[in-house]
Amino acid sequence: MVIKYFGVDRFFTFLRTIRDAGGIRASLYKLYRFDNLRPGTLVGTDKFGNKYFENPTYFYGRNRWVEYAPQYGMEYDGSQVPAEWFGWLHYKTDYLPMNDPTRPKYKWMAEHTENLSGTPGQYMPYSTTRPKIEAWVPSKCK
Amino acid sequence: MLRSALVPCKEVLSTSNVLRNLSAGIFGNVQLQDTQKRKQSTQPVPAHKPYSPFQVSRTNIGEYAMARLDDLLNWGRKGSMWPLTFGLACCAVEMMHIAAPRYDMDRYGVVFRASPRQADVIIVAGTLTNKMAPALRKVYDQMPEPRWVISMGSCANGGGYYHYSYSVVRGCDRIVPVDIYVPGCPPTAEALLYGVLQLQKKVKRMNTLQMWYRK
Repeated sequence: MVIKYFGVDRFFTFLRTIRDAGGIRASLYKLYRFDNLRPGTLVGTDKFGNKYFENPTYFYGRNRWVEYAPQYGMEYDGSQVPAEWFGWLHYKTDYLPMNDPTRPKYKWMAEHTENLSGTPGQYMPYSTTRPKIEAWVPSKCK
Repeated sequence: MLRSALVPCKEVLSTSNVLRNLSAGIFGNVQLQDTQKRKQSTQPVPAHKPYSPFQVSRTNIGEYAMARLDDLLNWGRKGSMWPLTFGLACCAVEMMHIAAPRYDMDRYGVVFRASPRQADVIIVAGTLTNKMAPALRKVYDQMPEPRWVISMGSCANGGGYYHYSYSVVRGCDRIVPVDIYVPGCPPTAEALLYGVLQLQKKVKRMNTLQMWYRK
């Protein structure tokens, strides 16, 4: 094709990317949020609303990505990807979580929580034994 | 000190923590199980997370202005955090990896700086021995004031494999105040990068100017 030879099809891909993102304004917002705007096919959405994309024309390692749900704003974080999507996103498996036959599902399995460090729900370690050391309390300079 | 300029967590003054502080006697801190908080599921939270951690009402113009200035200051600080490399053991190899193209810490404005005078954060990567401890403290003391510490790997976190050794410090938090602990032996470059991002979140909560204004 002549169009492909001269690279004009990239321009159409660019237009399609902007259209898929939902217009110029939405594209700019996406660019601001993720520093990235690229075309891809939506392969799934998890229960938090994160969207998972794939585009095999990118090289391995860059061809799967997640776009975090809009409610996270700029506070998105890698731990917001739930466990069932982790394997697909990190190339541990090629199965999508809904197609994976080996994925166990039990009632007692805990819900996924994001990393709560720095929030009131954070884990604080504690000890029930007598401390073995005494902290040094330096004398005040003045 | 600027170090204390962090916003306390919202529930620091709630009852359970007060009880915890009161009960911190000879046996150290004992965490009280607040079953109520554990039970309520943290499942899909639709609440939108705002950019700024300081949600100050606009009625008080001074406070509002200081909050926004703090946002600006923190944005500048978290966007260019220069770590001082303090590679002590095998963790240092993973620390080199985050500088390499695959993880590429430069995307986040994190650039290794070999001088403590111009570094913002020190990454203690590896086993801290008794012999190295004074050097670590000296280097830390040479860093300019808004400074942070990332403790990387089991050995730096709490001695790790060498916890019972006669010549190893059982955690670099006995020498310097640590902000972020990165677990792992050694942590992957991905984990360290996540630690850097967590530190950026922590820097975002600093309220230096608001504290100055309230004083």
